Amino acid sequence: MNRKKALIAIAVIVVAGIAFTLYMLNMPARDVQGTDSDYQIPSTALVQEYLDDAASANAKYLDASGESTILEVTGTIADISRDFNDQVVILLQSDDDPAGVSCTFTLETNASTDGLSVGKDVVIKGVIRSGAAYDEDLEMFEPVIIEKSDLFDIL
Amino acid sequence: MKKLLLLGLAAITLSAFTTLPGKLKSTVSHIAFYSHTALEDIKADNYKSIAVLNTESGDVIISVPMQSFEFEKRMMQKHFNQEKFLNTAEFPKAKFKGRIQNMDSHDFSKPGELILTIHGDMTIKGKTQPVNMVATALIKGDKVQLNTAFDLTLSDYGVEFSSGKPSTSIAKTIEVNALFQF
Repeated sequence: MNRKKALIAIAVIVVAGIAFTLYMLNMPARDVQGTDSDYQIPSTALVQEYLDDAASANAKYLDASGESTILEVTGTIADISRDFNDQVVILLQSDDDPAGVSCTFTLETNASTDGLSVGKDVVIKGVIRSGAAYDEDLEMFEPVIIEKSDLFDIL
Repeated sequence: MKKLLLLGLAAITLSAFTTLPGKLKSTVSHIAFYSHTALEDIKADNYKSIAVLNTESGDVIISVPMQSFEFEKRMMQKHFNQEKFLNTAEFPKAKFKGRIQNMDSHDFSKPGELILTIHGDMTIKGKTQPVNMVATALIKGDKVQLNTAFDLTLSDYGVEFSSGKPSTSIAKTIEVNALFQF
C-alpha cells in the first residue's frame, strides 16, 4: 500500500515537472502592457540621461535577460510612421532635443494611435530596448528605442 | 556687415538640416536570422535597425539594437539576451561598417537593380570580424531598397556552447537576411 502511494507521488511529481518544463519552454512572449511600469519619465530627460552617461543609463534600464524596464514616456509627437511589420512608430522629441524616443506600437495596439497627430503631447507605455547616443559612424544621433507600446494618456 | 552675418547664419542653419549629398538614411528595416538544426528551427525578427548608405563613397553603416530581436518563445528570447549568449545589457548594439566594392561601376542615380559586393567589419558582443556580403539595391526615384543575406558563425563572436541543450538546438552558423528602405 505504501509502495503504491509512493509510486503515485513520484508519478505526480514527474508529470508536474514535465508540465512545468513544457510551460517554460513554450511560454508566450512577455505581456508588456499587462506589467506595471518601472519609471515615468519625460522623453527629454530620458534622452539626456543617456547622452550624459550611457553606461549608467544602461545599467539602470536594461535587463540582462532582455526583459528590460517598462517606461511611461511623456513627450511631444514629432513624427508618425510605420515599419516593415506595419507597426505604427511614434517619435517623441522636443525641438531642442538632439535625439528623441522612438516608440513602436504592435499590430494589436496600432489602432490606439488613430487620431494622433504631430505636436500633440502624449504618454506612451512600452519596454526599452536601447538608449540614445551619437554614433560617429552613422554621423547622427540614434533615438531611444521603445517597443510593445500602447498609448497611455493624451495630455 | 549685418547682412553678411545673417547670410552666414542662414548658411549654418541650412547646413545643419541638410544631409551630405549621396548620404541616405534608413529607419525602416527588417533583419531576420534563422538557425536550423535537426532538433529545432529558431527564427527572430528585428524591425528597429538604423542604416546609412552613401551612394557616392559606397559606405554602408548598420546599427542593430540587439534587444529588439523578437522570438516566438519567451525562453528563447531570454536565452538570446543572457550574458553567456549575446550579453545584450552590456552590448546593446551590433554594428556593421562596410563599403560597396567597385563603386565606379554602380550608378545610383538611374532606376533599376544593382548587384553589389560589400566588404566590411561586423561587431557583435564587442568582437569585430570581417564580413563580406552580396546585396541587391533596387532604385526607384530617390528611394533605394537594399536587400542582403549572409551567414554568421557564432563562435567568431564568442558565442559558444559545448554542452547542454543549446549545443544541439542552436546552429553553429546562422543565416541572416536584412532589408532596408532608404
